[in-house]
Amino acid sequence: MKTLVLGMGNPILSDDGIGIWVARALEGELSGGEVTVMETSMAGLNLLELLVDFNRAILIDSIQTGKRKAGQIYRLGPEAFNVTQHTATSHGVNLATVLDLGRKLELNLPQEIIIFAVEAADVNTFGERCTPEVEKAIPVVSNMVIQEVNGGYNA
Amino acid sequence: MKKITIDPITRLEGHGKIEIFLNDAGEVENSYFQVPELRGFEKFCEGRLAEDMPQITQRICGVCPEAHHTASTKALDALFHVDPPSPAKKLRELLYCAFYITDHTTHFYILGAPDFIMGPDAPVAERNILGVIAKVGLELGGAVINTRKQNHHIIHILGGRAVHPVFGLPGGVSKGLNEEERKEVEQIAKDSVEFAQLSLKVFDDIVLKNKEYMDMIVSDAYTHHTYYMGLVDEDNKVTFYDGKVRIVDPDGIEFAKYESRQYLEHIAEHVEPWTYVKFPYLKNVGWKGFLEGKDSGVFRVAPLARLNVADGMATPLAQEAYEKMFAALGGKPVHHTLAMHWARLVEMLYAAERLLELSQDPEITSSDIRVIPTATPDEGIGIVEAPRGTLIHHYITDERGVIKKVNLIVATVNNAAAVNMSIKKAAMALIKPGKEITEGLLNRIEMAWRPYDLCLACASHTFPGSNPLPIHIYNGKGKLIKKLT
Repeated sequence: MKTLVLGMGNPILSDDGIGIWVARALEGELSGGEVTVMETSMAGLNLLELLVDFNRAILIDSIQTGKRKAGQIYRLGPEAFNVTQHTATSHGVNLATVLDLGRKLELNLPQEIIIFAVEAADVNTFGERCTPEVEKAIPVVSNMVIQEVNGGYNA
Repeated sequence: MKKITIDPITRLEGHGKIEIFLNDAGEVENSYFQVPELRGFEKFCEGRLAEDMPQITQRICGVCPEAHHTASTKALDALFHVDPPSPAKKLRELLYCAFYITDHTTHFYILGAPDFIMGPDAPVAERNILGVIAKVGLELGGAVINTRKQNHHIIHILGGRAVHPVFGLPGGVSKGLNEEERKEVEQIAKDSVEFAQLSLKVFDDIVLKNKEYMDMIVSDAYTHHTYYMGLVDEDNKVTFYDGKVRIVDPDGIEFAKYESRQYLEHIAEHVEPWTYVKFPYLKNVGWKGFLEGKDSGVFRVAPLARLNVADGMATPLAQEAYEKMFAALGGKPVHHTLAMHWARLVEMLYAAERLLELSQDPEITSSDIRVIPTATPDEGIGIVEAPRGTLIHHYITDERGVIKKVNLIVATVNNAAAVNMSIKKAAMALIKPGKEITEGLLNRIEMAWRPYDLCLACASHTFPGSNPLPIHIYNGKGKLIKKLT
């Protein structure tokens, strides 16, 4: 099964970069064979271009629900394709709309998409490190992604 | 006093908020366009090597990395006192044209067109790209995706990545084109010219042939008589990559023309207590408030501004489209904000034609693409036209090239004063005492700022958890009395 592991975020904007740091942590571990590890700071239609020709996609992103503690990890399915930081919008199209568009255009898109989202504390300050609680989540999410890749994560 | 909040602004990169205040009679008293503050960019840059700036600054924004990359690279040329060889300049411009095609395509089809193709009052659920392709056809949807993909491929060839290119260096570029790649670019350019022509035809069929839309475009609610600013080449034609900055007054008469390094002689910034955004204005006119007219230093940038400041387009098909637009809208300058959508398509055609010209230029496969800088760095300013308007990068370093000071003025900020005025004017025209405030009405207010193609990601990269359009109406005591979603 061709699998895309995609870290999303901005690596110079504190916790917004969590997806990128997880992707970089997983690069050596997972890349090769059926698994591709990538990172992106773009969303919307750019995301569509990245997803084409994969059977499965695992996205890692930050989220701000404001309801949980920083560092809290969520495993989200299709119902949540417009709530994380980089699936929400990119000049107007959220992931759900993008997938809808791609399917209408008969693009070969993943049948299965999972998002691991980490509650962010600060996405407004320039910096190349996450805040401490979010930093601690990096190895935890990384392990969850590895388990997901190897046959599904069991919560 | 009643308060209406449009928060977050839908279809806008970054998290923004519009607040509209009504008086006791139910008329619009004032409105504020606010964006959250991003902290610490200058501090983040201080102490870094200047040559890292094209990589760092393009990370600011999830929408137009290539614009920051290019402005930053030009600032480095100036900083290191080096003039890149001609093929390098052409390659930079080539990449930039490819980027323009992708960006203008996205704005028109994703953000601009739904209002017209589906209609301003169509339900939010239909007023999007899916509605557009349902109405105009799947084939067009495929063409949108393909045009973007192909032009990203050009950026990938030169920059090593489809976004966030590693390309511009002080004194040149990191990679040239071989003949095989050149041919590929040439074919993509030809396809893009066709696509841009098709897009102008879609606009013609759907907007220009609809009297209601044309009346709306020229209506007072969406019109401001302001100054305009944009880059022009030596013949005063529109250019995106390099040239002089020209300013015309509300009558279309040249007010100033300056080199990048002189920008501080022409632009100053006004501070308001209710927002962290500083409002740039023309120093030699002065800040008189959020006012239009010749006595007010408010100016506008972006596609319509670029067409207004120029004497024409440098390529034949775009020139034809340019003449058609000004003829239809009563000559230059055009002050109708909604005409920016049309101007954007004229520019898309120019970018495609220019891409084709550059791909056929005998120098484009030259390997003479870099001059190694030898002078001591001190200060550099680089200006490009980002798709959403004039973008300024200004760096000061020590003698080792370590950053001491950074100043960026991004396109959305250049338009900030005008955006505020546009929202207020539309709100005043549309919200009337006793008239129900519907979703469609609020969308018509959004249509006043949407043409600017605001990109708050340059100032803010934060997104809300979800992206609905809650509208909160408050009574005189600040209590929420009505909620529309």
